[in-house]
Amino acid sequence: MNSMGIALAVLGAACAALFAGIGSAKGVGLVGEAAAGVVSVDPNKFSKVLILQLLPGTQGLYGLLTAILMLSRIGIIGGNAAELTTSQGIMFLGAALPIAIVGLFSGIAQGRAAAAGVGITAKKPEHNGKGIIMAAMVETYAILALLVSILLIYNIAI
Amino acid sequence: MGREEYASAVSAVKAMESFLFTQSDMEQLINARTDAEFDSLVSAKATENKTLADVWEMLKSYAPDSRELEILLYRNDFHNLKAVLKAMISGREPENYFIEPSNVGIDVLKEAFRTKDSDILPDYMRETASEAYELLTGTLDGQLSDSLIDSSALRAMQKSAEEFGGDFMRKYAELITVFADMKTAYRCSRMGKSRAFLETALCGSTALDKESLIRASLGGTDNVISFLENTQYNESAHLLKENPAQFEKYSDDMITEFAETARMQAFGVEPLIAYYIAKEAEIKNLRIISVCRESGADIETITERLRKLYV
Repeated sequence: MNSMGIALAVLGAACAALFAGIGSAKGVGLVGEAAAGVVSVDPNKFSKVLILQLLPGTQGLYGLLTAILMLSRIGIIGGNAAELTTSQGIMFLGAALPIAIVGLFSGIAQGRAAAAGVGITAKKPEHNGKGIIMAAMVETYAILALLVSILLIYNIAI
Repeated sequence: MGREEYASAVSAVKAMESFLFTQSDMEQLINARTDAEFDSLVSAKATENKTLADVWEMLKSYAPDSRELEILLYRNDFHNLKAVLKAMISGREPENYFIEPSNVGIDVLKEAFRTKDSDILPDYMRETASEAYELLTGTLDGQLSDSLIDSSALRAMQKSAEEFGGDFMRKYAELITVFADMKTAYRCSRMGKSRAFLETALCGSTALDKESLIRASLGGTDNVISFLENTQYNESAHLLKENPAQFEKYSDDMITEFAETARMQAFGVEPLIAYYIAKEAEIKNLRIISVCRESGADIETITERLRKLYV
Protein backbone atom coordinates (compact mmCIF):
# COMPACT_ATOMS: atom_id res chain seq x y z
CA MET A 1 0.00 0.00 0.00
CA ASN A 2 1.32 3.44 -0.99
CA SER A 3 0.89 5.45 2.19
CA MET A 4 2.25 8.66 0.61
CA GLY A 5 -0.92 9.16 -1.46
CA ILE A 6 -3.27 9.03 1.49
CA ALA A 7 -0.91 11.15 3.60
CA LEU A 8 -0.94 13.91 0.97
CA ALA A 9 -4.73 13.79 0.79
CA VAL A 10 -5.03 14.05 4.57
CA LEU A 11 -2.57 16.95 4.49
CA GLY A 12 -4.85 18.63 1.96
CA ALA A 13 -7.88 18.21 4.21
CA ALA A 14 -5.90 19.58 7.15
CA CYS A 15 -4.76 22.61 5.11
CA ALA A 16 -8.35 23.41 4.09
CA ALA A 17 -9.53 23.45 7.70
CA LEU A 18 -6.37 25.08 9.03
CA PHE A 19 -5.80 28.05 6.74
CA ALA A 20 -9.44 28.91 6.17
CA GLY A 21 -9.91 28.66 9.93
CA ILE A 22 -6.99 31.00 10.59
CA GLY A 23 -8.44 33.52 8.11
CA SER A 24 -11.80 33.41 9.85
CA ALA A 25 -10.30 33.62 13.31
CA LYS A 26 -8.31 36.72 12.37
CA GLY A 27 -11.28 38.33 10.63
CA VAL A 28 -13.79 37.59 13.37
CA GLY A 29 -11.28 38.75 15.98
CA LEU A 30 -10.69 42.07 14.25
CA VAL A 31 -14.41 42.77 13.87
CA GLY A 32 -14.91 41.70 17.47
CA GLU A 33 -12.45 44.34 18.64
CA ALA A 34 -14.17 47.01 16.58
CA ALA A 35 -17.60 45.85 17.76
CA ALA A 36 -16.50 45.91 21.39
CA GLY A 37 -15.47 49.55 20.94
CA VAL A 38 -18.97 50.47 19.75
CA VAL A 39 -20.77 48.41 22.39
CA SER A 40 -18.67 50.02 25.13
CA VAL A 41 -20.18 53.37 24.11
CA ASP A 42 -23.64 52.21 23.03
CA PRO A 43 -24.62 48.68 24.18
CA ASN A 44 -27.87 48.90 22.17
CA LYS A 45 -25.92 48.38 18.95
CA PHE A 46 -24.82 44.89 19.99
CA SER A 47 -27.19 42.99 17.69
CA LYS A 48 -26.29 45.13 14.69
CA VAL A 49 -22.55 44.73 15.07
CA LEU A 50 -22.88 41.02 15.84
CA ILE A 51 -24.09 40.36 12.27
CA LEU A 52 -20.97 42.05 10.94
CA GLN A 53 -18.79 40.02 13.26
CA LEU A 54 -20.29 36.75 12.02
CA LEU A 55 -19.55 37.44 8.36
CA PRO A 56 -15.84 36.50 8.28
CA GLY A 57 -16.64 33.30 10.18
CA THR A 58 -17.92 31.52 7.05
CA GLN A 59 -14.47 30.83 5.57
CA GLY A 60 -13.71 28.58 8.52
CA LEU A 61 -16.94 26.68 7.89
CA TYR A 62 -16.07 26.31 4.19
CA GLY A 63 -12.67 24.91 5.19
CA LEU A 64 -14.32 22.49 7.58
CA LEU A 65 -16.83 21.41 4.92
CA THR A 66 -14.05 20.86 2.39
CA ALA A 67 -12.04 18.81 4.88
CA ILE A 68 -15.04 16.61 5.76
CA LEU A 69 -15.93 16.05 2.10
CA MET A 70 -12.37 15.15 1.29
CA LEU A 71 -12.00 12.80 4.26
CA SER A 72 -15.28 11.18 3.31
CA ARG A 73 -14.25 10.81 -0.34
CA ILE A 74 -10.97 9.12 0.53
CA GLY A 75 -12.71 6.90 3.03
CA ILE A 76 -11.02 8.13 6.18
CA ILE A 77 -14.43 8.93 7.62
CA GLY A 78 -16.04 5.52 7.79
CA GLY A 79 -12.76 3.78 8.53
CA ASN A 80 -12.21 2.43 5.04
CA ALA A 81 -9.34 4.47 3.65
CA ALA A 82 -8.89 4.27 -0.10
CA GLU A 83 -5.59 3.22 -1.61
CA LEU A 84 -4.23 6.32 -3.33
CA THR A 85 -1.23 6.73 -5.55
CA THR A 86 1.15 9.63 -4.88
CA SER A 87 -0.24 11.56 -7.86
CA GLN A 88 -3.80 11.08 -6.58
CA GLY A 89 -2.64 12.32 -3.18
CA ILE A 90 -1.12 15.39 -4.80
CA MET A 91 -4.38 15.99 -6.65
CA PHE A 92 -6.35 15.91 -3.41
CA LEU A 93 -3.84 18.26 -1.84
CA GLY A 94 -4.27 20.59 -4.84
CA ALA A 95 -8.05 20.34 -4.50
CA ALA A 96 -7.81 21.72 -0.98
CA LEU A 97 -5.66 24.70 -1.94
CA PRO A 98 -8.36 27.00 -3.38
CA ILE A 99 -10.36 27.14 -0.15
CA ALA A 100 -7.23 26.99 2.02
CA ILE A 101 -5.55 29.99 0.42
CA VAL A 102 -8.60 32.04 -0.58
CA GLY A 103 -10.18 31.25 2.79
CA LEU A 104 -7.15 32.60 4.63
CA PHE A 105 -6.91 35.87 2.74
CA SER A 106 -10.62 36.48 2.22
CA GLY A 107 -11.27 35.89 5.93
CA ILE A 108 -8.79 38.60 6.84
CA ALA A 109 -10.00 40.96 4.09
CA GLN A 110 -13.63 40.43 5.05
CA GLY A 111 -12.72 41.12 8.65
CA ARG A 112 -11.26 44.49 7.65
CA ALA A 113 -14.30 45.35 5.53
CA ALA A 114 -16.68 44.32 8.31
CA ALA A 115 -14.67 46.26 10.93
CA ALA A 116 -15.00 49.33 8.72
CA GLY A 117 -18.72 48.54 8.51
CA VAL A 118 -18.83 48.61 12.31
CA GLY A 119 -17.73 52.24 11.96
CA ILE A 120 -20.82 52.90 9.81
CA THR A 121 -23.05 51.24 12.41
CA ALA A 122 -21.39 53.28 15.15
CA LYS A 123 -22.08 56.60 13.52
CA LYS A 124 -25.12 55.96 11.35
CA PRO A 125 -26.88 52.83 12.62
CA GLU A 126 -29.68 53.25 10.07
CA HIS A 127 -27.09 52.51 7.32
CA ASN A 128 -25.94 49.28 8.96
CA GLY A 129 -27.16 47.24 5.97
CA LYS A 130 -24.73 48.99 3.64
CA GLY A 131 -21.83 47.93 5.82
CA ILE A 132 -23.09 44.35 5.75
CA ILE A 133 -23.44 44.35 1.95
CA MET A 134 -19.95 45.74 1.44
CA ALA A 135 -18.40 43.13 3.73
CA ALA A 136 -20.51 40.37 2.16
CA MET A 137 -19.07 41.12 -1.28
CA VAL A 138 -15.79 39.55 -0.16
CA GLU A 139 -17.70 36.33 0.49
CA THR A 140 -18.15 35.80 -3.27
CA TYR A 141 -14.52 34.79 -3.65
CA ALA A 142 -14.58 32.38 -0.74
CA ILE A 143 -17.68 30.73 -2.25
CA LEU A 144 -15.99 30.46 -5.66
CA ALA A 145 -12.96 28.85 -4.05
CA LEU A 146 -15.19 26.44 -2.12
CA LEU A 147 -16.96 25.45 -5.35
CA VAL A 148 -13.67 24.75 -7.11
CA SER A 149 -12.41 22.70 -4.18
CA ILE A 150 -15.63 20.62 -4.08
CA LEU A 151 -15.63 20.09 -7.87
CA LEU A 152 -12.04 18.92 -7.72
CA ILE A 153 -12.62 16.59 -4.76
CA TYR A 154 -15.53 14.83 -6.53
CA ASN A 155 -13.84 14.63 -9.91
CA ILE A 156 -10.55 13.05 -8.95
CA ALA A 157 -10.70 9.45 -10.08
CA ILE A 158 -9.82 6.97 -7.37
CA MET B 1 0.72 49.96 17.76
CA GLY B 2 -0.29 48.63 14.34
CA ARG B 3 -3.15 50.35 12.52
CA GLU B 4 -5.55 47.43 13.09
CA GLU B 5 -4.89 47.51 16.82
CA TYR B 6 -6.90 50.73 16.89
CA ALA B 7 -10.02 48.96 15.55
CA SER B 8 -11.79 49.06 18.90
CA ALA B 9 -10.75 52.64 19.66
CA VAL B 10 -11.78 53.90 16.22
CA SER B 11 -15.21 52.29 16.46
CA ALA B 12 -15.75 53.70 19.94
CA VAL B 13 -14.73 57.16 18.72
CA LYS B 14 -17.08 56.90 15.75
CA ALA B 15 -19.90 56.02 18.12
CA MET B 16 -19.01 59.05 20.24
CA GLU B 17 -18.88 61.36 17.24
CA SER B 18 -22.65 61.05 17.05
CA PHE B 19 -22.83 62.87 20.39
CA LEU B 20 -20.84 65.88 19.18
CA PHE B 21 -22.71 69.17 18.91
CA THR B 22 -24.03 69.85 15.43
CA GLN B 23 -24.65 73.18 13.71
CA SER B 24 -28.33 73.07 14.70
CA ASP B 25 -27.37 72.33 18.34
CA MET B 26 -25.13 75.40 18.28
CA GLU B 27 -27.93 77.53 16.85
CA GLN B 28 -30.25 76.36 19.60
CA LEU B 29 -27.64 77.26 22.20
CA ILE B 30 -27.12 80.72 20.72
CA ASN B 31 -30.86 81.31 20.63
CA ALA B 32 -31.55 79.97 24.14
CA ARG B 33 -33.69 82.54 25.92
CA THR B 34 -32.48 81.85 29.43
CA ASP B 35 -29.38 80.45 31.09
CA ALA B 36 -31.47 77.55 32.37
CA GLU B 37 -32.49 76.70 28.82
CA PHE B 38 -28.84 76.95 27.72
CA ASP B 39 -27.73 74.63 30.53
CA SER B 40 -30.45 72.10 29.82
CA LEU B 41 -29.54 72.02 26.12
CA VAL B 42 -25.90 71.42 27.01
CA SER B 43 -26.72 68.67 29.51
CA ALA B 44 -29.12 66.99 27.09
CA LYS B 45 -26.33 66.58 24.57
CA ALA B 46 -23.38 66.07 26.87
CA THR B 47 -21.87 62.63 27.28
CA GLU B 48 -19.44 61.52 29.92
CA ASN B 49 -16.70 63.28 27.95
CA LYS B 50 -17.43 66.78 29.16
CA THR B 51 -13.89 68.06 29.54
CA LEU B 52 -10.76 67.47 27.50
CA ALA B 53 -9.34 65.57 30.48
CA ASP B 54 -12.32 63.16 30.21
CA VAL B 55 -11.75 62.81 26.47
CA TRP B 56 -8.10 62.08 27.07
CA GLU B 57 -8.86 59.46 29.73
CA MET B 58 -11.22 57.76 27.32
CA LEU B 59 -8.75 57.81 24.41
CA LYS B 60 -5.96 56.44 26.57
CA SER B 61 -8.21 53.68 27.89
CA TYR B 62 -8.65 52.45 24.32
CA ALA B 63 -5.07 53.04 23.19
CA PRO B 64 -2.88 52.95 26.32
CA ASP B 65 0.36 52.30 24.47
CA SER B 66 0.08 55.01 21.86
CA ARG B 67 3.05 57.39 22.16
CA GLU B 68 1.80 59.21 19.11
CA LEU B 69 -1.36 60.34 20.90
CA GLU B 70 0.75 61.86 23.67
CA ILE B 71 2.14 64.41 21.22
CA LEU B 72 -1.29 66.08 21.38
CA LEU B 73 -0.56 67.08 24.98
CA TYR B 74 2.95 68.47 24.50
CA ARG B 75 1.66 72.03 24.39
CA ASN B 76 -0.16 71.51 27.68
CA ASP B 77 2.98 69.98 29.18
CA PHE B 78 5.09 72.95 28.17
CA HIS B 79 2.44 75.38 29.34
CA ASN B 80 2.53 73.64 32.72
CA LEU B 81 6.30 73.84 32.69
CA LYS B 82 5.98 77.63 32.34
CA ALA B 83 3.36 77.79 35.06
CA VAL B 84 5.33 75.74 37.56
CA LEU B 85 8.61 77.52 36.81
CA LYS B 86 7.12 80.98 37.28
CA ALA B 87 5.09 80.01 40.32
CA MET B 88 8.04 78.44 42.07
CA ILE B 89 10.31 81.38 41.38
CA SER B 90 7.71 83.85 42.63
CA GLY B 91 6.87 81.67 45.65
CA ARG B 92 3.28 80.94 44.59
CA GLU B 93 1.47 77.64 44.25
CA PRO B 94 1.27 76.54 40.58
CA GLU B 95 -1.95 74.51 40.90
CA ASN B 96 -4.16 77.38 39.71
CA TYR B 97 -2.24 77.70 36.46
CA PHE B 98 -1.86 74.00 35.75
CA ILE B 99 -3.92 72.65 32.87
CA GLU B 100 -5.17 69.15 32.20
CA PRO B 101 -4.91 66.81 30.41
CA SER B 102 -1.13 66.51 30.48
CA ASN B 103 1.51 63.83 30.16
CA VAL B 104 3.53 65.14 33.10
CA GLY B 105 1.94 65.54 36.52
CA ILE B 106 2.31 68.70 38.57
CA ASP B 107 4.23 66.88 41.31
CA VAL B 108 6.84 65.67 38.83
CA LEU B 109 7.33 69.21 37.50
CA LYS B 110 7.56 70.67 41.01
CA GLU B 111 10.02 67.99 42.04
CA ALA B 112 12.15 68.60 38.94
CA PHE B 113 12.52 72.30 39.78
CA ARG B 114 12.84 71.78 43.52
CA THR B 115 15.68 69.29 43.15
CA LYS B 116 17.00 70.92 39.95
CA ASP B 117 16.90 67.44 38.44
CA SER B 118 15.39 67.60 34.99
CA ASP B 119 16.19 63.93 34.38
CA ILE B 120 12.90 62.95 35.97
CA LEU B 121 11.07 64.76 33.15
CA PRO B 122 10.31 63.13 29.79
CA ASP B 123 13.23 63.53 27.39
CA TYR B 124 11.30 65.92 25.11
CA MET B 125 11.22 68.60 27.81
CA ARG B 126 14.40 67.99 29.85
CA GLU B 127 16.68 70.38 28.03
CA THR B 128 14.03 73.10 27.79
CA ALA B 129 13.31 72.87 31.52
CA SER B 130 16.98 73.41 32.40
CA GLU B 131 17.44 76.17 29.81
CA ALA B 132 14.29 78.01 30.86
CA TYR B 133 15.26 77.80 34.52
CA GLU B 134 18.75 79.20 33.81
CA LEU B 135 17.30 81.90 31.58
CA LEU B 136 14.65 83.01 34.03
CA THR B 137 16.89 82.98 37.09
CA GLY B 138 19.75 84.58 35.15
CA THR B 139 17.91 87.33 33.27
CA LEU B 140 14.54 87.54 35.10
CA ASP B 141 13.09 88.01 31.61
CA GLY B 142 9.79 86.13 31.87
CA GLN B 143 8.82 86.93 28.30
CA LEU B 144 12.00 85.47 26.87
CA SER B 145 11.69 82.37 29.02
CA ASP B 146 8.04 81.93 27.96
CA SER B 147 9.02 82.31 24.32
CA LEU B 148 11.74 79.71 24.71
CA ILE B 149 9.30 77.24 26.25
CA ASP B 150 6.60 77.91 23.62
CA SER B 151 8.93 77.41 20.68
CA SER B 152 10.45 74.34 22.34
CA ALA B 153 6.97 72.81 22.63
CA LEU B 154 6.51 73.20 18.88
CA ARG B 155 9.95 71.78 18.16
CA ALA B 156 9.25 68.81 20.45
CA MET B 157 5.96 68.15 18.65
CA GLN B 158 7.67 68.22 15.27
CA LYS B 159 10.54 66.02 16.45
CA SER B 160 8.34 63.38 18.09
CA ALA B 161 5.93 63.41 15.15
CA GLU B 162 8.91 62.80 12.89
CA GLU B 163 10.27 60.02 15.11
CA PHE B 164 7.18 57.98 15.88
CA GLY B 165 4.21 59.75 14.33
CA GLY B 166 2.46 59.15 11.04
CA ASP B 167 1.87 61.61 8.20
CA PHE B 168 -1.27 62.89 9.91
CA MET B 169 0.50 63.81 13.14
CA ARG B 170 3.41 65.35 11.22
CA LYS B 171 1.02 67.57 9.28
CA TYR B 172 -0.84 68.48 12.48
CA ALA B 173 2.43 69.46 14.19
CA GLU B 174 3.35 71.54 11.16
CA LEU B 175 0.01 73.36 11.10
CA ILE B 176 0.24 74.17 14.82
CA THR B 177 3.78 75.45 14.32
CA VAL B 178 2.94 77.54 11.27
CA PHE B 179 0.08 79.41 12.95
CA ALA B 180 2.06 79.92 16.15
CA ASP B 181 5.07 81.22 14.20
CA MET B 182 2.88 83.57 12.14
CA LYS B 183 1.46 85.14 15.32
CA THR B 184 4.84 85.32 17.02
CA ALA B 185 6.58 86.89 14.02
CA TYR B 186 3.87 89.53 13.70
CA ARG B 187 3.73 90.37 17.42
CA CYS B 188 7.53 90.50 17.74
CA SER B 189 7.66 92.81 14.76
CA ARG B 190 5.08 95.12 16.37
CA MET B 191 7.06 95.17 19.59
CA GLY B 192 10.36 95.71 17.77
CA LYS B 193 11.97 92.59 19.17
CA SER B 194 15.61 91.84 18.39
CA ARG B 195 17.00 89.06 16.20
CA ALA B 196 18.21 87.25 19.34
CA PHE B 197 14.68 87.24 20.76
CA LEU B 198 13.22 86.04 17.45
CA GLU B 199 15.79 83.25 17.26
CA THR B 200 14.44 82.00 20.58
CA ALA B 201 10.74 82.66 20.02
CA LEU B 202 10.29 81.23 16.53
CA CYS B 203 10.32 77.54 15.79
CA GLY B 204 10.26 77.27 12.00
CA SER B 205 8.91 74.49 9.82
CA THR B 206 9.17 73.18 6.29
CA ALA B 207 6.21 75.38 5.32
CA LEU B 208 7.55 78.58 6.93
CA ASP B 209 11.30 78.90 7.08
CA LYS B 210 12.57 80.34 10.37
CA GLU B 211 15.31 82.55 8.92
CA SER B 212 12.93 84.10 6.36
CA LEU B 213 10.39 84.79 9.11
CA ILE B 214 13.07 86.43 11.27
CA ARG B 215 14.16 88.68 8.41
CA ALA B 216 10.56 89.59 7.61
CA SER B 217 9.84 90.33 11.26
CA LEU B 218 12.91 92.55 11.61
CA GLY B 219 11.72 94.50 8.55
CA GLY B 220 8.42 95.59 10.18
CA THR B 221 4.81 94.39 10.32
CA ASP B 222 4.06 95.18 6.67
CA ASN B 223 7.07 93.12 5.73
CA VAL B 224 5.71 90.16 7.72
CA ILE B 225 2.33 90.45 6.00
CA SER B 226 3.81 90.71 2.53
CA PHE B 227 6.12 87.76 3.26
CA LEU B 228 3.17 85.63 4.43
CA GLU B 229 1.10 86.69 1.42
CA ASN B 230 3.61 84.87 -0.75
CA THR B 231 3.22 81.62 1.15
CA GLN B 232 0.46 78.98 1.06
CA TYR B 233 -1.04 80.68 4.14
CA ASN B 234 -1.64 83.92 2.28
CA GLU B 235 -5.41 83.90 2.95
CA SER B 236 -4.90 84.55 6.64
CA ALA B 237 -1.97 87.01 6.48
CA HIS B 238 -4.11 90.17 6.43
CA LEU B 239 -6.15 88.92 9.41
CA LEU B 240 -3.06 89.20 11.61
CA LYS B 241 -3.15 92.95 11.13
CA GLU B 242 -6.86 93.61 10.70
CA ASN B 243 -8.54 91.17 13.04
CA PRO B 244 -6.41 89.00 15.34
CA ALA B 245 -9.53 87.27 16.76
CA GLN B 246 -10.50 86.19 13.24
CA PHE B 247 -6.96 84.95 12.70
CA GLU B 248 -7.36 82.71 15.75
CA LYS B 249 -10.65 81.47 14.33
CA TYR B 250 -9.08 80.90 10.92
CA SER B 251 -6.23 78.85 12.38
CA ASP B 252 -8.61 76.75 14.50
CA ASP B 253 -10.86 76.19 11.48
CA MET B 254 -7.92 75.11 9.34
CA ILE B 255 -6.95 72.55 11.96
CA THR B 256 -10.54 71.21 12.18
CA GLU B 257 -10.69 71.08 8.39
CA PHE B 258 -7.47 69.08 8.42
CA ALA B 259 -8.84 66.77 11.14
CA GLU B 260 -11.84 66.02 8.92
CA THR B 261 -9.55 64.15 6.54
CA ALA B 262 -9.32 61.39 9.17
CA ARG B 263 -13.07 60.89 9.41
CA MET B 264 -13.22 58.29 6.63
CA GLN B 265 -10.46 56.10 8.07
CA ALA B 266 -11.48 52.77 9.57
CA PHE B 267 -8.14 51.97 11.23
CA GLY B 268 -5.19 53.81 12.71
CA VAL B 269 -4.66 56.53 15.28
CA GLU B 270 -5.87 59.38 13.05
CA PRO B 271 -9.60 59.22 13.95
CA LEU B 272 -8.61 59.40 17.64
CA ILE B 273 -6.48 62.49 17.09
CA ALA B 274 -9.28 63.99 15.00
CA TYR B 275 -11.83 63.34 17.74
CA TYR B 276 -9.62 65.09 20.29
CA ILE B 277 -9.30 68.08 17.95
CA ALA B 278 -13.08 68.04 17.42
CA LYS B 279 -13.76 68.05 21.16
CA GLU B 280 -11.25 70.86 21.61
CA ALA B 281 -13.18 72.94 19.07
CA GLU B 282 -16.52 71.99 20.60
CA ILE B 283 -15.46 72.99 24.11
CA LYS B 284 -14.06 76.26 22.75
CA ASN B 285 -17.38 76.94 21.01
CA LEU B 286 -19.38 76.29 24.16
CA ARG B 287 -17.10 78.70 26.03
CA ILE B 288 -17.47 81.36 23.30
CA ILE B 289 -21.27 81.12 23.35
CA SER B 290 -21.35 81.19 27.14
CA VAL B 291 -19.03 84.22 27.42
CA CYS B 292 -20.78 86.09 24.61
CA ARG B 293 -24.18 85.49 26.20
CA GLU B 294 -22.89 86.80 29.51
CA SER B 295 -21.52 89.93 27.87
CA GLY B 296 -24.74 90.46 25.93
CA ALA B 297 -23.20 90.02 22.47
CA ASP B 298 -25.66 89.78 19.57
CA ILE B 299 -26.30 86.56 17.61
CA GLU B 300 -24.30 87.79 14.63
CA THR B 301 -21.21 88.43 16.77
CA ILE B 302 -21.46 85.02 18.40
CA THR B 303 -21.90 83.23 15.06
CA GLU B 304 -18.92 85.10 13.61
CA ARG B 305 -16.69 83.91 16.43
CA LEU B 306 -17.76 80.27 16.45
CA ARG B 307 -15.23 77.70 15.28
CA LYS B 308 -15.92 75.29 12.46
CA LEU B 309 -17.57 72.09 13.63
CA TYR B 310 -16.19 68.65 12.93
CA VAL B 311 -19.61 67.06 12.28
